[in-house]
Amino acid sequence: MAAYDSIASLPEAIARILKEHRVTRSLRRPSRVYTDTTDFSSIDYGDIILAEDRYFLITAYTKEGRFGVDEQIKQWVPKVEELATGRQYILKLVFKETFDMRLGQFTITCYRSPEKEARILELVQGRPHFMQGEAVLDARGNLIRVVVPVGGNRLDKVIHRSESSHEEYFFNELPAVFEEFLGCLQGIAFLHEHGLRHGDIRRDHIFVDRNTGHFYWIDFDYDFYLPEKPFALDLFELGNILIYLTGRGDYHPREIQADPAMGDPVVRSLSATDFSLLAPNRVVNLQKLFPYIPDALNNILLHFSAGADVFYETVEEIHTDLSAALEQLKKTSKNGRKREGETRETG
Amino acid sequence: MSDWKRIIIAIDDSPRSINAVEYVGSIAGHLSGVHLCLLHIYPEPPPDYYQSGATLDDYKMDQEERAKLLFAQTKKVLQAHGVAPQAITTRCRIAGQQSISAAILELQTKEEYGTIVVGKRGISKAEEFLFGSISNALIHNGRDIAVWVIG
Repeated sequence: MAAYDSIASLPEAIARILKEHRVTRSLRRPSRVYTDTTDFSSIDYGDIILAEDRYFLITAYTKEGRFGVDEQIKQWVPKVEELATGRQYILKLVFKETFDMRLGQFTITCYRSPEKEARILELVQGRPHFMQGEAVLDARGNLIRVVVPVGGNRLDKVIHRSESSHEEYFFNELPAVFEEFLGCLQGIAFLHEHGLRHGDIRRDHIFVDRNTGHFYWIDFDYDFYLPEKPFALDLFELGNILIYLTGRGDYHPREIQADPAMGDPVVRSLSATDFSLLAPNRVVNLQKLFPYIPDALNNILLHFSAGADVFYETVEEIHTDLSAALEQLKKTSKNGRKREGETRETG
Repeated sequence: MSDWKRIIIAIDDSPRSINAVEYVGSIAGHLSGVHLCLLHIYPEPPPDYYQSGATLDDYKMDQEERAKLLFAQTKKVLQAHGVAPQAITTRCRIAGQQSISAAILELQTKEEYGTIVVGKRGISKAEEFLFGSISNALIHNGRDIAVWVIG
């Protein structure tokens, strides 16, 4: 059980704010003041974490649900309010873990590293496309990351908001998504230039600001160990996001089979080289599903396919190719709209 | 182009490295003016290495001890082929922030070696993408040198 102080230890001004706080009013016990967050599971809703003279009141917990798994509370990631300023933050407490990630037939060891996340937060201070925050130390030297939450939603949810067909999405919505995603690619290139990996690139780790529409990378605390290809996993996962954005979903044979617009003929047209290099059941050659996908874009996707002979070595290479493909896509979209207009006039 | 007889043999403790050393020995044993550098480059420790309280110096010492055994074994192989002991040097170093292939090429350039020899792993495309291929990286990135990949 972690040791804590009573609220009597709080400075008067902080105690006054706490007393009037909605969380205190809903609490049946007095808050506890923790200066050591090592045993984070003992710290609960309504408690205060004190680090570097800042008092953070726990107001809620973040949850994580992913791909069919029920949302689970992350006890090491409380939502807090800094009592002196009233500002809302997310704290990331030290939770070191090592686990093996399966990627096709391979196993990659992953690590959760607070130090790495703190380094990235410092490096990307003020840069676009990254969640912002800073690190503070508790009394035991635990590296707590104080993160400014991005007000918005996960990218993979945002692209499903409209009820447009894939073709409408592809020509009318995807160009704007790619514009922002290009900025995200530059962000990852910047990390790699500094010898750092994002480490956990996933489609739900880009948040879209609900006011500005800008994309932000979140969660930098994972790391992996691939000494000869230190950025390969980041590159592969960027490819996965690109494939997801292009298709507005992942496509496996069963989904294609079930889709009346595609069905058996499309499934039968697929060969082994049309699937992902590392996730052998996922279709990468999306042009076979959506023939209006231009070659320039589809060729980028094919770099991540089992048929690829050349791989991307750097994020800059993907950025260059996607920029060119986007320009082409924008032109096609414009022409497409013109054609629609002409049809309406004559019809 | 640097002198091809100044040869780096990049080794680890795998059987393919021993094959590469055997191969070079079988040629170098019949030549004069050959200088062989047995080179062992090891990667940085995994991120959780320090959690047990161990230091980078501990890691380096451990790697260097292992390399000593490796060098003793491979020197024997070369000498059995008739390579003179004074024609063999050994080097062991950490790759640091570089990849292993980049660290090999850095030493090759700095010390003007003309040939690099490595064992061939025989990996799939997916493995190459994810884990990298030292031999492919040497072939692609080496300038004005010969790269021998021994299967």
